[in-house]
Amino acid sequence: MQIVSGGVTDVGRVRTNNEDCFRIVAPLHLFVLSDGMGGEAHGEVASALAVETVVKHCEEALDNPAVTLFGEQQAAWSEKTKRLSSAAHLANTKIFASAQKNAEQQGMGATLTAAWIDGSKLSIAHVGDSRAYLLRSGTLQQLTSDHSLVAEQVRHGILTAAEAEESHMQSVLLRALGSQEEVQVDAEEHLVIARDILLLCSDGLTRMLIEPEIAATLQAEPDATKAAQKLVDLANDRGGSDNITVIVVRIGAESRGWFSWLRPGARKHAARNGAAGGK
Amino acid sequence: MAKLSLMFENRLVKEVPIGSRPVGIGRSPDNDLPVDNLAVSNHHARVFFEAGRLVVEDLDSLNGTFVNDLRVERATLHDGDSIWIGKHHIKVDASGDTPILMDSKRKPVAPSINETMVLDTKQRRDMLQQAAAMGERSQFAGRLKMPTLVVLGGNSDQKEYVITSRLAVIGKSKDATVRLKGWFKPEVAAQVNQRDDGYYIGPGDKTPRVNSKPIHGPVRLNDGDVIEICGLRLSFVFRE
Repeated sequence: MQIVSGGVTDVGRVRTNNEDCFRIVAPLHLFVLSDGMGGEAHGEVASALAVETVVKHCEEALDNPAVTLFGEQQAAWSEKTKRLSSAAHLANTKIFASAQKNAEQQGMGATLTAAWIDGSKLSIAHVGDSRAYLLRSGTLQQLTSDHSLVAEQVRHGILTAAEAEESHMQSVLLRALGSQEEVQVDAEEHLVIARDILLLCSDGLTRMLIEPEIAATLQAEPDATKAAQKLVDLANDRGGSDNITVIVVRIGAESRGWFSWLRPGARKHAARNGAAGGK
Repeated sequence: MAKLSLMFENRLVKEVPIGSRPVGIGRSPDNDLPVDNLAVSNHHARVFFEAGRLVVEDLDSLNGTFVNDLRVERATLHDGDSIWIGKHHIKVDASGDTPILMDSKRKPVAPSINETMVLDTKQRRDMLQQAAAMGERSQFAGRLKMPTLVVLGGNSDQKEYVITSRLAVIGKSKDATVRLKGWFKPEVAAQVNQRDDGYYIGPGDKTPRVNSKPIHGPVRLNDGDVIEICGLRLSFVFRE
């Protein structure tokens, strides 16, 4: 799989500080996004700690697969899914410990949506109301469930999806990293195929735009970073009431195999590949 | 906002607001207004706004939908009307204003920006209970229902497939939930996406048919819907 990615974060039009944080570790195909909460600058501390912990834990595990796994893992999961879930548990512990130690950080927390692509397998670990989507066949497939009160009410049939969008309780989360000693992490594996586009985003995007707009923007802009920037701009045009963070990951096919020679342009690419090492 | 109140023997069973989406009425638990009575069809009727007017539409139910004692297939509703379905009746309150229509391109501007907060376990329980009391939690909640694709016809490796993934793929891929066999079958023919309000089937490289109609985008699956894709016929059911 050929993977190209880009990410953009923006403070939005209303808030004065950006509590979102993201990291793309391109060589590993690891993508991490977090939206922090808590007064003063503590939301920023929490989201940065979440991202840093997850990336570090995953990198360490690559060098030494024997590094302890935290939290519960399902036996059927791949190593990367286990590691990503473990990283979320570890981030929870670290944020919680920091808030316990520093009285002024009381109540800080963070969402986490992390994705790790390994060949055709996509691992996701998720806590909170940031989201992961896969754009496939022109529609956004949602890969995560929001751990928010309104989403839970929709799942119980108490609210319709349309009512949830207009609720003033949207900011009430049921799960976040760092708010309790233990956290339940949603981890799952998915198949990805060529032409899929993975999107990770904070709620600053999904509260401003409807899904068909997001899908159309992703389809119209082939450059991952520019697509992320366009989504951020669009959310700002709509008011930008919260911080906005977007990671766009485009999954492409590697032109391999006999038949790839028959495709237009295949020879040209092959020639370029050959020249890359020498000259 | 306009609302429907489900009554049984003059007792209020459930109340639902009518938003921009149709309100489904029927025996199946995936309805917005589930009516637990054998005389009621799985998907009996629906109520929705059309050009600013409230409309009830019978969904080919076995025992019919009645508006003020008149059997109807489709009728406009007025404030104070009663819809009769079996022994239940539904009071129509259309005194509120009409909702923002679905085709309005933009989302309404987000309401006041509250700081994000997290509920602890006790607060969460209390809050859910409160909310449940308001909307009377669906009588089916609590029972675990597994969405399942049951093979009705065609060549498949299993008789049925329980959907456990948020994105269940029907295709040739070895990681597909429903694995298709054969030379020219696509990796991803179609997929079922779990959303908060239900399960949606969407096209992949092929366009599935739902209840014999080809779909043009993601469609929410109802209990008992029949899906046709790449020579397979599958029934979508909730298993307890």
